[in-house]
Amino acid sequence: MAPHLHWMIACGKRMRRSALALLALTLATAAAAPPLAARLLAGMARTPPTSTPFVQVSYRAVLARPIIVLGTLRWAGGDRLERDIEQPFRQTAKINGGEISLQRGSGEVQHVPLAQAPQVGAMLAGFRALLGGNLTVLQQDFVLTAEGDPAHWVVTLTPRTPALRQQLASMVIDGRAHDARCLTVHAANGDTSITLLGALARRGLQSAAPLQSAVAARCRNDP
Amino acid sequence: MKHAVRVATWLAWLVVVAALGWVVARHLKISSDLRDFVPPARTADQALLLDEIGKGPGSRLLLLAISGVPPARLAALSRGLDHALARDPAFERVANGGQDLAHLASGLLPYRYLLSPTLDSHRLDAAYLHAQLQQRVEDLSSPAAALLEPWLRRDPTLETLKLARRWAPAHPPQRIDGVWFSRHGEALLVAETRAAGFDPGAQAAAIASLQRHFASLPGAASATLVVSGPGWFGVQANQHTRSEADHFAIVTSVGFVLLLLLAYRSVVPVLVTALPLLSGAVVGFALLALVFGHAHGITVAFGFTLLGVAQEYPLRVFSHRRVGVATAQCVRELWPLLATAIVSVAIAYLAFFASGVAGLQQLAVFTIGGLVTAGACTRWLLPRVVPPATRDMADTPGLAPAWHFLARLPRPRWLPWLVAAAGVLVVVLAPGRFWQNDLSALAPVPQAELQRDARLRAALGAPDVRYLLVLRAATAQAVLALSERVAPELHHLVTRHALDGFELPSRYLPSLATQRARQAKLPAAPELQAALQSAMQGLPFRAGVFAPFVADVQAARTLPLLTPERFEQLPPGARLASMLLRQGPGWVGLGTLSGVQDPAAFAALAGKTDGAVHLLDLKASTESLIVAYRHRILLALGVAAALLCIAVTLALRSVRRALHVLGPMALATLLVLVVLRGAGIPLSLFHLVSLTLAAGLGLHYALFFERRTGAAREDLRTLHATLVCVASALLVFGVLALSSVPVLRAIGLTVALGVAFHFTLSVLMAPAGHLRREG
Repeated sequence: MAPHLHWMIACGKRMRRSALALLALTLATAAAAPPLAARLLAGMARTPPTSTPFVQVSYRAVLARPIIVLGTLRWAGGDRLERDIEQPFRQTAKINGGEISLQRGSGEVQHVPLAQAPQVGAMLAGFRALLGGNLTVLQQDFVLTAEGDPAHWVVTLTPRTPALRQQLASMVIDGRAHDARCLTVHAANGDTSITLLGALARRGLQSAAPLQSAVAARCRNDP
Repeated sequence: MKHAVRVATWLAWLVVVAALGWVVARHLKISSDLRDFVPPARTADQALLLDEIGKGPGSRLLLLAISGVPPARLAALSRGLDHALARDPAFERVANGGQDLAHLASGLLPYRYLLSPTLDSHRLDAAYLHAQLQQRVEDLSSPAAALLEPWLRRDPTLETLKLARRWAPAHPPQRIDGVWFSRHGEALLVAETRAAGFDPGAQAAAIASLQRHFASLPGAASATLVVSGPGWFGVQANQHTRSEADHFAIVTSVGFVLLLLLAYRSVVPVLVTALPLLSGAVVGFALLALVFGHAHGITVAFGFTLLGVAQEYPLRVFSHRRVGVATAQCVRELWPLLATAIVSVAIAYLAFFASGVAGLQQLAVFTIGGLVTAGACTRWLLPRVVPPATRDMADTPGLAPAWHFLARLPRPRWLPWLVAAAGVLVVVLAPGRFWQNDLSALAPVPQAELQRDARLRAALGAPDVRYLLVLRAATAQAVLALSERVAPELHHLVTRHALDGFELPSRYLPSLATQRARQAKLPAAPELQAALQSAMQGLPFRAGVFAPFVADVQAARTLPLLTPERFEQLPPGARLASMLLRQGPGWVGLGTLSGVQDPAAFAALAGKTDGAVHLLDLKASTESLIVAYRHRILLALGVAAALLCIAVTLALRSVRRALHVLGPMALATLLVLVVLRGAGIPLSLFHLVSLTLAAGLGLHYALFFERRTGAAREDLRTLHATLVCVASALLVFGVLALSSVPVLRAIGLTVALGVAFHFTLSVLMAPAGHLRREG
């Protein structure tokens, strides 16, 4: 994991200085349904542009071992999201204006309309709403439940529409105070991807093929 | 005759005309098949044009742009319209950029290795598969992973996606919210109608349906839908022409009624003048329905114009009636002359019947039937419905002085010859084109709409309407092979900027030979297994996960190859069906081209293939057909003129008298040509038909002025009748000459000028003794 470590240190320095780690926040008044979820989300809201390192671990039925990628997530505001994978290969995904532009390394850019993938669209919309602290938008597509206390919490988003439920079982956000630490996406077919964010991502993973339970435990229990 | 009987007869006449009109309207099919109206094709391209005119892949496309609300709402409207049109039977297909092309290709899943060009340059070996699988690992980490995952086990090389991309537009517009948008911020769609592009009726119905769908979408009220494309232009031109014609019809009808009231000081002419003409038209249509079963739209338009001559018959009767003499008696006196005019014109139109062109034969049947009927109605029915005359038109104030004025005009005998000679010189020597071959110039599309069409066409990469690439070969397979062979050449032309893009039949379906070659490259199961195993080394995929892929490749090795017939049954097959056609003994492939910058660059391509592949300029081909059509019309008109001369000479039993009738007609026609040529107006078919109508009217003027009545009061009545006829014709056609629609202006100007010249010359060139004699 040497290169990863190196990358993370570099990334960490940058992040400390800019102090806009995904989870720096301002508490705003929250209005709607589950008061804890509302309060947590309002707390997570941040002002664009903002960025955070991430580590994504994907567990899929077609895979014998998980795929682990490291990179940076950027939110430029509105519906403009950028997701750069830096390790172990380079890939840039920009989500803008209803389509995903994918660039492999420095190769040709491919455009995938989100209309072809409503489930991806809904997930991204949820993600944007999360970043923007927009509870109303989030509640259009998802049922929100929250557990824990403001210092140590778990928010679960469950899709409302049957069409979306066919693709997506749930999204779970683990957090501490005003920081989201992990985003876990449970696909309907049983595939799971866990994305570590901010400080947790910076610390990296201990194994090249960690067990799903081990990664989940880190989200929940790591200090 | 009792008043009540007259009213009853009038009513019965009206009812019969209306009833016959109703029956005919239900049975007569108005066609817009241009093949009726043009001579048989002489070249294969002309034949192709006639077969395909308006049915070609480009001409059925409507380009749509939605604007006026924020992008997110535009995208929603685009999706709504796409959804509605996809279910509308008037439309073959619709695209807004949001379609899942992979879904389109999924029906062809088993054939993917035969259709995709991958195997032309790669083999399904360990190295290629490893590179592909490495890319899939990367794809699975992307936000689009959920899209790919379902395909992965069966199609790890994403052949389906490659096919979908191959069939997608080469330069698609940018997408916002997953649908196409122009740089101007409009949501863009293309819709392909089932109806031919130049079938204005069907296009109008399709466009109306499209607009209804749009209007019923939520939030459509504040947005604007713009439609463009050949179908739209045709419908627009029709509507514009019709609305302007209707507008003028109201003005001229009111003017005509006032004129009749002023001329005859009675409402009777107003109530019956139109009946002979209407009867003639209805009988003409009935004959068309009986003889041909259908009539071309052009026949109807031209025929109605030519039938305008019949409007004069009742006017002549009203002007020549005398107090105390039965109307029937007056008509009997006029009849020889009217009959001469009708029979001469009818004989002349026989030339059209002999032309061999269905549209002209229809025109002849309609016009002859209509004129004879209108004449017969005037002769035998009109006297039964009009009350006895209470006024002699010879007493009209001012008529006698007018007669004297006209009679005293100088009439140098040499003048007509000089005018004729000068006229011929002007007609021959005037600069500018003689003929207008571009029919679209007569119903032009506004410049702004043309520019918008070009902009939308470029933004959507939609094919050119003017150019098609024609590929000819003996069999469908040979056409596909030819298409495969010239594809690289066309790519070369694109890089040279001779054109922006192209679509060939082989883009959808490769030839059997190519499919066979690809099939031969598919590895056997053990070989593929081994390659896959080594390809998966170092990659995180689970062993055996690609078993469905191995099975598919095995199945593809023995799959029967895709023929055009089978391919056309599948979803993208409709595209191929419009691009691969049987024509005569051979087959034709049609390639659509977009943004043709340099038509001359295609000459080399034609040279290399011995003309088997060449550029078809639809505009030039259409114009060559128009030229051929005009030759037929001119020939028919020439024969008709000769027949008319013979008929008039026989009827008058004197060459000298015939010259007095035909001389003014010929000279007046020449003078109209002089004015048109002098003004730099190129002549179209509409000018020719209008000249013919004017000549028909001129025949009446000349015949009546030439008549020896021996009675001054009868001469005054002749002048009265002619003045009313001339005034009404000038009113109707003079107003039309003010139209903004070139085709209406052409007809109006030509007939109005013609009437003025025919009248003047028939007065000035009438036998001197006739007019000088004073009463």
